[in-house]
Amino acid sequence: MTSYIPPTASDFLSRLADAPCCAAIVDGARLEAALGSRAPAVFVLRGNGLDLSDMIRRVHDSGKLIAVHLDLVDGLKADHWGVTWLARCGVDAVITSHGQLMPVIRNEGVIAIHRLLLSRREHLDTAVTALARSRPHIVEILPGVVLPAINGLLPPLEVPMLAGGFIRTPLDARSVLAAGAIGVTTSSEGLWDLQAAVHG
Amino acid sequence: MADGATIHLPRILVADTGRGGTSPPPGLDAGILLRNTDLAALIDCALSNGTPPAVELDSIRGLGSDDAAVAFLRDRLSIEIMLTRRPQVADAFAAAGGLALLNVLAFDSTGLRRSLHGHPRRERVGTVISPGLVLHHMLPSELALLVRPLVAYGLIDNAADALATLAVAEGIVVRPEVAQGIAESEALMRGVGLSPA
Repeated sequence: MTSYIPPTASDFLSRLADAPCCAAIVDGARLEAALGSRAPAVFVLRGNGLDLSDMIRRVHDSGKLIAVHLDLVDGLKADHWGVTWLARCGVDAVITSHGQLMPVIRNEGVIAIHRLLLSRREHLDTAVTALARSRPHIVEILPGVVLPAINGLLPPLEVPMLAGGFIRTPLDARSVLAAGAIGVTTSSEGLWDLQAAVHG
Repeated sequence: MADGATIHLPRILVADTGRGGTSPPPGLDAGILLRNTDLAALIDCALSNGTPPAVELDSIRGLGSDDAAVAFLRDRLSIEIMLTRRPQVADAFAAAGGLALLNVLAFDSTGLRRSLHGHPRRERVGTVISPGLVLHHMLPSELALLVRPLVAYGLIDNAADALATLAVAEGIVVRPEVAQGIAESEALMRGVGLSPA
């Protein structure tokens, strides 16, 4: 446990202004590449949620932020206590698809990222309702690569939006940024050094 | 009842609740997919039409997801094509001679691979990818993982996306308005001497 004070959501978002692509990793082997890249944040999508301290320290030592997906890491339950554990470990943001946990995450003083999974047209309207209820700091839309195609169908979300899922090329990234995302989460290492200028 | 080996999967499955009297547009290789409805509507629709609809089992209120439900669909309603998220149910439906399509969620590349782990990978069990619109963005190596026949389902909201998706999938699920748009697009293409996808 640490006394680390995480950044605000505004701080997090401002880092995306220079380098919009966050490094999504599913194992420790990719961490070194992520730390050596321009990616402002590392999104941890797999691993042992009960043994994160070394990873968190290394990410912070490199000057980056770390977000952990509560639903996907091993060893933790997606509930109040799982959130508390991650906050006390020193993560900067907690990602979950469970909207009811957003107030818990905010109360723990870390950035609340609500992951919205869109697979049907009818989910688009319910997404707005879900966000109004959960009030996250940031929403992450998956699969992000379809964002340009569905942008006209998606009601205004009024929450800063990340896009993740099947975003692999600079063109993919530029397209989702042009469609309104403020950042991208991707496991494609080639995008981790993408500079903001390309989507201007 | 048709033998599973000869079951025809329409290129276009038009999503419907079975209450609106929706019919596929003429001229298309299309059928009805019953979803988001209840058991009574399913029975009415299946028994009143010449061609039994495809059924999305998990969204039929009142219908279970066990062997009894599978037997009811196959033996009583002559349902030939069934979509489900449950691998065991897909397996049972295929064993009963139907064509099962296992619904696999594809929100990102790592999740896709995990979702495919439970696929029965047996004869007469294909794959539904949701949302279908991501098929355009999959790598050849990912497409190769998907057990055929392959149906794209979700967020396909216009004729152009539908026709592009049909280039990589055997079938798509769309709303009636989109199916109508496909019919008009294909009629136009035939009018200028082009073969539809």
